Amino acid sequence: MHRPVILVRVLALVGLLLFGQGAYIHAKALLAQILLERAFAQAISSDRHTKPWSWADTWPVGRIEVPRLHASAIVLAGSSGQALAFGPGHVELTPDAGERGVAVYAAHRDTHFRFLRDVAIGDEILITRSDGKAFRYRADRTAVVRFDASGIDPLTEGYELVLSTCWPFDAVTPGPERYILHATMMELPAAREAAPQLNRPSAPRMAITR
Amino acid sequence: MIICNEIERSGRSVQRHLARLLLFFLMEGIAALLVAFAALFVNLEPAWSAQSPGTAVIGTGDARSGSLLLKTGDGTTEATRLGIDVDVTVSGPTIRARITQIFRNQTPNWVEAAYVYPLPAGSAVDSLKMIVGDRVVVGEIKERRQARVIYEQARQNGQKAALTEQQRPNIFTNALANIGPRETVLVQIEYQEAVAQTGNEFSLRVPMVVGPRYNPAPVVQSVDFRADGSGWGSTSSDPVPDRDRISPPVLDPAQNAAVNPTRITVHLQAGFPIGEVKSHHHEVTIESPDPATRIIRLADGVVPADRDFELTWKPLAEKAPSVGLFREHVGDADYILAFVTPPAVEQAAQKPLPREVIFVIDNSGSMGGTSITQAKASLIYALGHLQPSDRFNVIRFDHTLSVLFPSAVPADAEHLGTATSFVAELQAAGGTEMVPAMRAALNDPPDADNHYVRQVVFLTDGEIGNEQQLFDTIAAMRGRSRVFMVGIGSAPNTFLMTRAAELGRGTFTHIGSVEQVEERMRGLFAKLENPAVTGLSVTFSGASADLTPSPIPDLYRDEPLVLAAKLDRAAGSVEIKGRIGDRPWMVTLKVANAAEGKGLSKLWARRKIADAEIGRTLRQTAPEEADRTILALALEHQLVTRLTSLVAVDQTPSRPAGEALKFSQLPINLPAGWDYAKLFGEHTQPMSPPTERRAETGEARAQLVAATRGLPVVTGAAGTVTLPKTATDAKLKVMAGGMLLLLSLMMLVFNRFQIFPR
Repeated sequence: MHRPVILVRVLALVGLLLFGQGAYIHAKALLAQILLERAFAQAISSDRHTKPWSWADTWPVGRIEVPRLHASAIVLAGSSGQALAFGPGHVELTPDAGERGVAVYAAHRDTHFRFLRDVAIGDEILITRSDGKAFRYRADRTAVVRFDASGIDPLTEGYELVLSTCWPFDAVTPGPERYILHATMMELPAAREAAPQLNRPSAPRMAITR
Repeated sequence: MIICNEIERSGRSVQRHLARLLLFFLMEGIAALLVAFAALFVNLEPAWSAQSPGTAVIGTGDARSGSLLLKTGDGTTEATRLGIDVDVTVSGPTIRARITQIFRNQTPNWVEAAYVYPLPAGSAVDSLKMIVGDRVVVGEIKERRQARVIYEQARQNGQKAALTEQQRPNIFTNALANIGPRETVLVQIEYQEAVAQTGNEFSLRVPMVVGPRYNPAPVVQSVDFRADGSGWGSTSSDPVPDRDRISPPVLDPAQNAAVNPTRITVHLQAGFPIGEVKSHHHEVTIESPDPATRIIRLADGVVPADRDFELTWKPLAEKAPSVGLFREHVGDADYILAFVTPPAVEQAAQKPLPREVIFVIDNSGSMGGTSITQAKASLIYALGHLQPSDRFNVIRFDHTLSVLFPSAVPADAEHLGTATSFVAELQAAGGTEMVPAMRAALNDPPDADNHYVRQVVFLTDGEIGNEQQLFDTIAAMRGRSRVFMVGIGSAPNTFLMTRAAELGRGTFTHIGSVEQVEERMRGLFAKLENPAVTGLSVTFSGASADLTPSPIPDLYRDEPLVLAAKLDRAAGSVEIKGRIGDRPWMVTLKVANAAEGKGLSKLWARRKIADAEIGRTLRQTAPEEADRTILALALEHQLVTRLTSLVAVDQTPSRPAGEALKFSQLPINLPAGWDYAKLFGEHTQPMSPPTERRAETGEARAQLVAATRGLPVVTGAAGTVTLPKTATDAKLKVMAGGMLLLLSLMMLVFNRFQIFPR
């Protein structure tokens, strides 16, 4: 008569642990975003890398918002496992939003990019950078690709954005496929050269005289 | 009734059990929430792996903002920080610059720091000071190997020591040993240089960063045939034997903030009233204490060392002085410096000589970014300015080579159209194998039409480590061709350009931004289209003189003749004779009219050393004899050269015995406008098949690509972005946990109810 009770207790304990671990992932994600909102507001005003908590090894670099869905998340530098637990990450070696090329942001499908499945073609996505500048992108393409054959070349001529998360959305185990949402900047920044510049006038046109 | 009582009792106990059950689950729920919140404050990541003793390895979480971390295999270390101050004084024709490098050790270890930096190609480095606290240690010129030994010994003994060595005429290294924990040490070097003049414009350049060089792999053996055509030659294995010393780690601008903040101040005393002063690549503020003096400072105060500083100034009067003569008495000899600009003789009404122009354009990875845009614009401009009677060809090279037409073709609309679209489509990628391209350009079959003037226009940033091989190629194959170098970008290899142009009897033009293309290419075309001043000779009456450059090169339009000579006495006159086109030209200068100058002896010695190096390349002097000449001049005039270095040692040992010394190679910025991915793309191979990055393990990735170690950058298939793993197992755990809890609940209830019915 005691054995079933012990078994029950053991099962309950294990179940509790698992449930707790699952809950902690969500709680971590939620709480972190609250601290990140504060750090990001500070980053915009102070123009330095502001650590959201003192042992963080990453810092906020931007905010992604989808106005139609009232969704918002603070993006962190880098896309290591550590960073992704707290918020979307800015994938390395891709340019920042607002720069020429493709800016790639990735996040977990069940926490910060849960809203991604609801983003439709034509939706507006607003990215605010840590220097305060904001850029509007319009979603124009979705695709499902393998993680190592994404077909995203970060060095294109246009101003583009890609949001990436795991696919399929409802699976419980991770797989090799990613869902990417591609967006293009809505209005191009005025007369920018690809190189960093110090208020130089834009390049003269080269005309062939014969 | 007993049954009723029993049922009633069991009913109440069922209620109690249910209540207890509810309480049980309530507590479980609270516990789950507590676990979740507690987990936020517990870092479950694995600790950093064991590190080698004596190395301070810190987790990235320990980094203070603004510190520079170098990621290595087992963690990250903090780099020594560097600040640079450049103070330049222009006095008439000469420039004296003092560069102060401030090494700040931010670690708790004893550190040896090494920094690779550029200096102008014609500069004479003559002074080194190491400043520790309030103590100043002055450096001495020693023969190179001897200087190294002194430095190494001081390093072993724990004494502070500084060593300045030349790796190329425009690349120097400073090594500083035994910087204490949290200590700052200053290293100050000074150099002398002559002002450059082109037509109406005077200029100076302070290079700030060494562009990453393409160093051809040593597998290829290069063959040097002797110029005497005997058919015998020698092979050399490594085109760049000292590649380790000229390849510091380069920071990726996408991942790191710029480093090496630099302050620049220029005191300009031109010797004549100054008109327009312009800084081409930086914003500056200019003060004018009097008409012939300007003080120029950077508008931003401090800028990162990522592009050359170029300053030009023009005289207020319409025309620049066409003659300048300066003298200095040092020791028992007089040194004079003469600037003479020949008159610009307009072309007679006859048709200009038809030319055969071979254009060579570099489209290697280092040209990626803004440089290839500048090069393409320059080349398209040049193609548009060819006369119908000219012939041309276009060669493009990276680590491969293509020649557009099989041989030079007339510059008619059809060929120019083909060439223009060919150039417009060029992309920058790949290595820089310059020697085969130069060979192809200089290839002049003996049956070619000799009344065409043959010119080679070479557009490149010059970022190669095997400069000597290129010089040997030009020297051996130049024939009747003249080589014009066009240096492209924010940090071109000016030593390569000037030496190649000297050997090729042409000129060097620099284009550092797209705005400069039209103006500078027009200037180059004026030089290409108008006759040079040839057959120059100089005689001194009244004194015996040691003249440099010797032999005197041909001069192009707007170029001054710059002569330096050592006289036994300051008397008599200097007579210069030459031909402009087919007209004779002569000018005489009286030595007595010379103004006082400073540092002329060093400029003369530096120029003599350059002559000896060119003689060595052209095989006109034996290598040993050239080396003897160079060493003697360097020791007499206290200059840093290929064979001599400056070393300063603080006599009091500072590092306690037993403390380890950590080596810190200071990283440099990528030159402005360069494309990091296109540059280092040529070295990439995947280290292992790309694996999904798991959410739990952090990978130590080398953020700095050290070209010397050849660490590849990890990329996915064909340079596309690898997408990280973005799925947690939260859902799975919640479901599994929930199911187990449910199961345990069911079992509990089942058990409870089982015991009732008896």
